[in-house]
Amino acid sequence: MSHGLNKYFGKAWMLAVYMFLYLPIVTLVIYSFNDSKLVTVWSHASLRWYSALAADADLISAVWLSLKIAFVSALMSVFFGTFVAFALNRYKRFVGRTFLSSMANMPLVMPEVIVGLALLLMLVSVQHWLGFPERGLFTILLGHALLGTAYAAVVVTSRLKEMDGRLDEAAMDLGSKPWQVFTLVTFPLLVPALVSAFLLTFTLSFDDVVLSAFLSGPGYNTMPMVIFSRARLGLNPTINAVATVTITVVTIAVIASSFYTSHVERKRKREMALAYSDAIR
Amino acid sequence: MATASKPQTGMKSAEKEELLRIEGISKIYDGTVKAVDDVSLTVYKGEIFGLLGGSGCGKSTLLRMLAGFEAPTKGKIYLAEQDITNLPAYQRPINMMFQSYALFPHLSVWENIAFGLKRDGMPKDQIAERVEKMLGLVQLTKFAPRKPHQLSGGQQQRVALARSLAKRPQLLLLDEPLGALDKKLRETTQLELVNIIEQVGVTCVLVTHDQEEAMTMASRIAVMSEGYFLQVGDPDTVYEMPNSRKVADFIGNVNMFEGVIEEDEPDHVTVRSLECIHYVGHGISGHAGMQVGVALRPEKVMLSKRKPKGDYNWAEGEVIEIVYFGAHTTYHLKLASGMVLKAQEINSTRDLSCGLTWGDKAYAHWSNEAMVVLTQ
Ligand SMILES: Nc1ncnc2c1ncn2[C@@H]1O[C@H](COP(=O)(O)OP(=O)(O)OP(=O)(O)O)[C@@H](O)[C@H]1O
Ligand SMILES: [Mg+2]
Repeated sequence: MSHGLNKYFGKAWMLAVYMFLYLPIVTLVIYSFNDSKLVTVWSHASLRWYSALAADADLISAVWLSLKIAFVSALMSVFFGTFVAFALNRYKRFVGRTFLSSMANMPLVMPEVIVGLALLLMLVSVQHWLGFPERGLFTILLGHALLGTAYAAVVVTSRLKEMDGRLDEAAMDLGSKPWQVFTLVTFPLLVPALVSAFLLTFTLSFDDVVLSAFLSGPGYNTMPMVIFSRARLGLNPTINAVATVTITVVTIAVIASSFYTSHVERKRKREMALAYSDAIR
Repeated sequence: MATASKPQTGMKSAEKEELLRIEGISKIYDGTVKAVDDVSLTVYKGEIFGLLGGSGCGKSTLLRMLAGFEAPTKGKIYLAEQDITNLPAYQRPINMMFQSYALFPHLSVWENIAFGLKRDGMPKDQIAERVEKMLGLVQLTKFAPRKPHQLSGGQQQRVALARSLAKRPQLLLLDEPLGALDKKLRETTQLELVNIIEQVGVTCVLVTHDQEEAMTMASRIAVMSEGYFLQVGDPDTVYEMPNSRKVADFIGNVNMFEGVIEEDEPDHVTVRSLECIHYVGHGISGHAGMQVGVALRPEKVMLSKRKPKGDYNWAEGEVIEIVYFGAHTTYHLKLASGMVLKAQEINSTRDLSCGLTWGDKAYAHWSNEAMVVLTQ
């Protein structure tokens, strides 16, 4: 194949991949402004489904519930995930190390259905013996935090691994007690990783449907659960509207964060270049 | 030991007050890896002590035990007569300058230097005063507000030095302090570093694998191998009077002859090797018939085209390589035995002094006092 053709082929291939990835989303967004009640037939543009969404108390409360669960479970995940990552990285030897490390990774590889089912069975028997927890908000949080902890531990671990262990030693050498080493050096350097662990576990929780379905009780329907159950009854354009709102929010967040990181990176590069030209002068 | 030991005439060893004493310290990793093996050492106040050795010989491990990052498997460490073996790192009046500097990336130069002082709960105005002084010492005053990544390698190195000196430690540990700098910067920085250390008057233990660095900076050195000390002494003693083949080989260049002692008299020794007979102008503690090595530094070998007089201390060979270094030239002479003898000639005039070129026959000769007899 000639070089030129190769190039065109590459471009076409890229286009096809992007179409495959984004065309459904674009269609969904466009059709959320469709006036027709049929999701497949375009009549004319309107905000009809957005006002329907505003009036749909069930869906609104489901979105709120999902946001709440995602926020709290992400916080819990980051908190516990950091502990796990620390134990596994900073303490070389303790009883049950291998056990903890495999247990921490288990939720990553175990099918979610199994995790959900196991949790459900456990919670049911705990409730049987102790009288709580009632299935609902708390149990969903628990399940999401469990899954999120595993992911957060992975993110924090990778940052801890690339962080220079000498920094801890330098801090200790200069008179920091172990807890001061953490608060003054390790934690500030870990913040970016904690933020990305938070964002990751937040989105994991926000769109989780399997665990939520197992662990929720009457009256606790998260947004993905509502969308899922309504989609089975027949597609309703309100779903398109809520999806569009979600996509908009997520896109803005992603773009903002990537702008921020590239800005920081560029500033750093500029300053480093300056430092070297200073040194040469 | 078969070498005549030179009396310790280093002026530094006379009026010395002991600061650090290590007694039979060992570190065994994972029950099998002997990183440090029964090392004892005394370091005196005000001295720069160099730990020299190849990669993996246990230099860093020894230093890390002094800093308190690693607990010795066995042995004791005393600082100013106080047992600090079990004192945690943050309570030791010892500071360390790290190989990769380990500057805190989220703190400015000023805050990096103030870090240790703040941990001590020093009043704010005193901290400011001390930091300014340290910045002046390493000439970085105008860089105070910068972050470490905004500094060049040499500047980072000076911040690391200032940070480790700020608390006025009793002992300063330096792990390959110049390892991350390029060769040219390294030479100027060596002297600068020694100047600053002497100005402050702090006692140092310096780790390096570069023998020239150890020689220029340290007042005493220990040559380490596989976790133990091969030899401890002034740089010139270790260079001129190595006590084993390993030390002779590690410090500088050396021609090593293998031979047998023929005559063993109180005032001289002769050693017969394949290449020639060596006449050594002093007695040694060996005996006739003993297998020994004769070490000869290239700069002590002279070359000529005429056959030297006498039966001793010369060898004939063919010039197979001439390496020009500017200030001096090294000639490689292939002897009849197959051994390649290196001879270093100083280029004192502009035409190459002895007029030898590739393929020439030449005679190498040396004096009675040029070589060292080694039994180990
Ligand atoms: N944490 C550790 N666990 C196990 N073995 C170790 C550990 N640290 C060092 N060692 C081993 O101990 C020996 C000495 O290591 P050390 O770091 O002290 O060498 P070094 O003299 O500083 O070498 P280099 O010049 O390469 O820095 C090496 O064989 C090394 O593999
Ligand atoms: Mg080392």
